[in-house]
Amino acid sequence: MTAEPCRLRVRYAKDGRLAFLGHLEVMNTIMRCVRRSGLPFEVSNGFAHRMRIQFSQALPVGASSQGEYYDLKLPYAPDSDDALARLVEATPLGLRPDAAVVLPRKVPALEAWASMSRWDVLVVGGVCSAQGFLKKVDQLVTDDVLEYLRGDKPRRISLQRALVSYEAFDTEEGMRVRLTTRASEQGALRPAILVRAAMGLDPLRVCRVAQWHEDTQGVRVDPMDKRRCLVW
Amino acid sequence: MRIPREDRFADIEPLLGMVERPSRYLGHEWGAVEDQEGPFHACLIYADVYEVGQPYLGHAILYNELNDQEGISCERAFLPWVDMSALMRERGIPMLSLETASPVASFDLVGFTLAHELICTNILEALDLAQITLVAQDRGEDEPIVVAGGPSVWNCEPVAPFFDAVLLGDGEGLLVEVAQCVRDARTESVPRSVLLRRLAQIPGVYVPSLYEVVVDESSTRWGYAVPVEGSGAPARVLKRCLPRLDTTDPVAQRIVPYLEAVQDRLAIEVLRGCARGCRFCQAGMTYRPVRERPVEQVVQGVESGLGMSGFDQCSLSSLSTTDHSQCAQMLNSLHERLDRVGVRVSIPSQRLDSFGVEMAAAVGSSRRAGLTFAPEAGSQRLRDVINKNVTQDDLERAATNAFKSGYRRMKLYFMMGLPTETDEDVVAIPKTAERVVQIGRELFGPRSKVSVSISVAVFVPKSHTPFQWQGQLAFDEVRRRQQLLLHAAKDHAVRISYHDAEISLIDAVLSKMGRAGGELLMAAWRKGCRFDAWNDQFRFDLWQEAAAQVGIRLEEVASESYPLDVRLPWDHTSPGVTKGYLQREWRRATQGETTGDCTRHTCTGCGVCPTLGVRNELAATRS
Ligand code: SF4
Repeated sequence: MTAEPCRLRVRYAKDGRLAFLGHLEVMNTIMRCVRRSGLPFEVSNGFAHRMRIQFSQALPVGASSQGEYYDLKLPYAPDSDDALARLVEATPLGLRPDAAVVLPRKVPALEAWASMSRWDVLVVGGVCSAQGFLKKVDQLVTDDVLEYLRGDKPRRISLQRALVSYEAFDTEEGMRVRLTTRASEQGALRPAILVRAAMGLDPLRVCRVAQWHEDTQGVRVDPMDKRRCLVW
Repeated sequence: MRIPREDRFADIEPLLGMVERPSRYLGHEWGAVEDQEGPFHACLIYADVYEVGQPYLGHAILYNELNDQEGISCERAFLPWVDMSALMRERGIPMLSLETASPVASFDLVGFTLAHELICTNILEALDLAQITLVAQDRGEDEPIVVAGGPSVWNCEPVAPFFDAVLLGDGEGLLVEVAQCVRDARTESVPRSVLLRRLAQIPGVYVPSLYEVVVDESSTRWGYAVPVEGSGAPARVLKRCLPRLDTTDPVAQRIVPYLEAVQDRLAIEVLRGCARGCRFCQAGMTYRPVRERPVEQVVQGVESGLGMSGFDQCSLSSLSTTDHSQCAQMLNSLHERLDRVGVRVSIPSQRLDSFGVEMAAAVGSSRRAGLTFAPEAGSQRLRDVINKNVTQDDLERAATNAFKSGYRRMKLYFMMGLPTETDEDVVAIPKTAERVVQIGRELFGPRSKVSVSISVAVFVPKSHTPFQWQGQLAFDEVRRRQQLLLHAAKDHAVRISYHDAEISLIDAVLSKMGRAGGELLMAAWRKGCRFDAWNDQFRFDLWQEAAAQVGIRLEEVASESYPLDVRLPWDHTSPGVTKGYLQREWRRATQGETTGDCTRHTCTGCGVCPTLGVRNELAATRS
């Protein structure tokens, strides 16, 4: 344990029925887990005294994940194994953390930094095969701008920027789609938006399998890679 | 045959992506009791959406108590929102519990909370969605025993036909006795009718089917209830009363919701009952006597509750927290401990005196949101009639203190249509608000952004209060007085809002009617009324159609007044406050005489203590 203020970066999953929590609900739940864990978190100075914590990119309601992250600001560096054990103890199963690292205070904020996501999507029903789906997506990418509704608000996103790669296979369960997306100030592409635009139906399951940062050379940096997180 | 007990989560899982706020239906929150072995299974239902029902403290108390019993398990259920219930009906999925996603109809005991009158159609909706026979007397031998309890049992006649039993007063101990009675009777395989008679022998339990309604010249047109001959049911069922609060666990709320609940914080009950004696207030009469939790228990409860839950806010809840004899001590002690970890303490009600303001400032109530006070009436005369022991000086001092503490906004609650109200009393409402604005301007200068909003509700006469014989102000008259009030308000810094008068009318109808109200409820629900307490769901047109169908006029029912010696539909259920006391209080009201608070002065003879063998239990002397 050292007396330097730090960040504790925690990786956690979102699965089972808790996949149906909204981002705000996940954030509130995790803040309560942190309070229950007894870790010495910092609070902001304003009237509301909010916990100093940052989260990675919002996950859509209904989507599960194998790799979500939060950074908790602490007044001193704890033993990361001990901190992880305390958080595991205080967290419901569906949001359970599986790794924690201590980082210096000055690393970039997670949300904008870890902009890359890898998705595993299952689509069941509909008449389209993997091949047909890929053809449709090729066309959408050529058209570039995808217009869609979020609630009742019209939105636009450039697929050429936001969709990095896509593959699809027919399986016994249904069609599996693997996507890599890049979030930018324009927003993030939600897999369900792409599937809906290509096939006119919602995917049955969406899972984010990984998130990472892409450095200026296009090299992938894992958020838990303590050494490489410091270089930006 | 009872619906089998089995986990049906897989049935609703595919629907979660299609509905608003799917987190309402997930269960398995932190602190929920996962072990539901039984073999006796109870389910507590709050017939509104999760985020409204889950914070309800009474539910949490009873959930813990039942789950602590050997051989008894207790789960929760809430009414699905309209999108979810439509999908469930379409697919034939019955209402499910949260813990094990078992059909509600598979439980041995189902308990509803009567939180307020406007929840009544939701109870029918829940029973129907659960596939439980609506009318208690038509229920099959195997169906669950359906009971109710809570703050609005005090005229439960309109909903009585839907319940096998209604539990009056404090639920601690009582619901466990009911569960044990049902369990034993089921083990012995006694018929339902015998089981119900046994229930009626438990003090505090009212079994509606063992009473018949008699209408005669001594009663209102809704009659009164008398025990069926030979039923063994008592002529009058007295409420159950927990003698002391310090014998209970201060931390009742152990479940931490995933979604934002309407009160998204830890609530610690610091006292029960209020003896201020406001004559319009049902809770003030029915929750007597006053029982305080000592400061050490509150502080320790807050600390352990926050540690267990991880909440970052805590509310010291009760009918009037600032009346607690150790309120200042409590807040100071908590403030010192909790401020540095970013936990905020709030108190739900503010006394209209300098102490109230001091306490509000002590908990750091948001300066932006402003302070809330409830003078209830605009003129001193009318405040004396309702026994709101608040003077114009108190109000002005409170306003001055609040402005000096940095508040720029204030919200004032008033009622319209209180007994004896005149046009002068109505005009006095905006004048009172304007006086508060003026005080602010005197302090901060004429251009300062001081504002006062006033919220005006229509008075609803409630059973077991000194105003129980009164009618509600007629609809046309409500409209006229609303206009009068609007025109009397000259200052733009005063904002006026009205509580929906049509909703108050239905509240009054259900508060006045006897058992015949059940037909009205059934008709209204069949026409599609539900979530009546939600402004965007409330359908007055459907209520009117329902009333026409059962041959009544809503306004006429609500505005009817009765003589003091009439037999009332709720006379057979009693919170311990005597009718003689209520009559006396009514007479004093008409003479503008106020009655003191028995926790500060002498006993005023309401009857609760001698009748129930209890007394006010204060932690220290009240100032
Ligand atoms: S009986 Fe007397 S002391 Fe007891 S609650 Fe009533 S007024 Fe107060």
